[in-house]
Amino acid sequence: MFSEELKTLRKLGFRHLLLQTLNFASVLASGLMIYKGLGLITNTESPIVVVLSGSMEPAFHRGDILFLVNPPNARYEIGDITVYKIPGQDIPIVHRILETHDVVKVVNGVREAKPRPENQLILTKGDNNYLDDVELYQGLDWLERKHIVGKVRGFLPYVGYVTIAMNDFPQLKCALLGGLGLLALVQRE
Amino acid sequence: MARGRKGVNGTSPAPAADSPSDSTPTPPPRSILPIPPTTPKSRDVVKVNNANLIELKNALDDAIKRYLSRPDLFKQIHLHTDVRLALGWTGVLIAGVTALYSYRLEYEKSKPVIWIGLIVYIVLSLSQALYAYFIEGDTIFVGKRKTFDKRILTERITLNTRTKPSTPENPPAYSLSLMYRRSTNGGKSLLNRGAASESRPYTAFFDEQGVLDHDRFETWVGEIVGRVMEPEWE
Repeated sequence: MFSEELKTLRKLGFRHLLLQTLNFASVLASGLMIYKGLGLITNTESPIVVVLSGSMEPAFHRGDILFLVNPPNARYEIGDITVYKIPGQDIPIVHRILETHDVVKVVNGVREAKPRPENQLILTKGDNNYLDDVELYQGLDWLERKHIVGKVRGFLPYVGYVTIAMNDFPQLKCALLGGLGLLALVQRE
Repeated sequence: MARGRKGVNGTSPAPAADSPSDSTPTPPPRSILPIPPTTPKSRDVVKVNNANLIELKNALDDAIKRYLSRPDLFKQIHLHTDVRLALGWTGVLIAGVTALYSYRLEYEKSKPVIWIGLIVYIVLSLSQALYAYFIEGDTIFVGKRKTFDKRILTERITLNTRTKPSTPENPPAYSLSLMYRRSTNGGKSLLNRGAASESRPYTAFFDEQGVLDHDRFETWVGEIVGRVMEPEWE
């Protein structure tokens, strides 16, 4: 099936093969760098996440894509929807802030004049859940700011199903990458 | 005059070209052959999609590269390709290393690493794009040839090609321009320099099925290159 293309490739030489693989690799690298750059701008390690459960219905459904930001020196308010990760758990959770608690620390024997946002404590609850999240916190009573990945600023419905499908069926991911790679090798700009 | 020039495809050069040389001093002898006629050999049939201008241009570009890279003709210099490959692959590697770092380190610690990686990647990608656009431009072939006469003669040829889009009167055309330099003493004494630019519509070389007529194309290219390689007697 690919004998024609393989013959053409062999005729055109090794440099040509390198150039074509470079095309493919640079598309992947650009996508990766754009994602990382977005993470740097929004100050969060995953600027784009997919909703996996239905605990925030009717606001967010399974398969929605969320865009996160994490302003470093701003207080999180009650009502913000946050994504957080408990240390020891892999999966981030999307829930709404129910209560916040500002902590004034004593530094070098001197009490701070104002509580700093990075010392904020947070309690969350999913809109569609009956109870708040304290059971999910693995022993903690409050979430600290360092557990929070970001707060939601925008969303796209349904698009996340592609990611869910690729994670549930890894063969789909391989097939997609393989197909794209083959296409990149054979086509010439 | 013993020039040993064979006309392409059996045609003989115009006699008017020979007469000025009678009254001029003897040209320096050279063993440089003008472009020999195309040798019919078993060649693969090149068939492209007629409607796709990019495929048409690529097919002709490849044919030129194959033609001029013959052992008795020029040796291709891959500088432009190599620079693009080096810049591109370095960028990809940097992107990979940055991603690996960010995967291993905690987010706050990995931020400066990601900044550096991102900026280096942007610089490399930008320079690759600028190089391809400004310095490489339309060049498809850069070739060099060294011959030994009484001294070492170096010839260098550069070919640029463009597609001229179609107008209501003309079909899309393939525009070929080349620059040629012959020098000696390691490039310090210039012997001859020439340039030529011509265009033909794609319909001159491809038939309705999209099959490339190798002979006709190579005749045309050989004619232009041979013309440019002729020395000017002063």
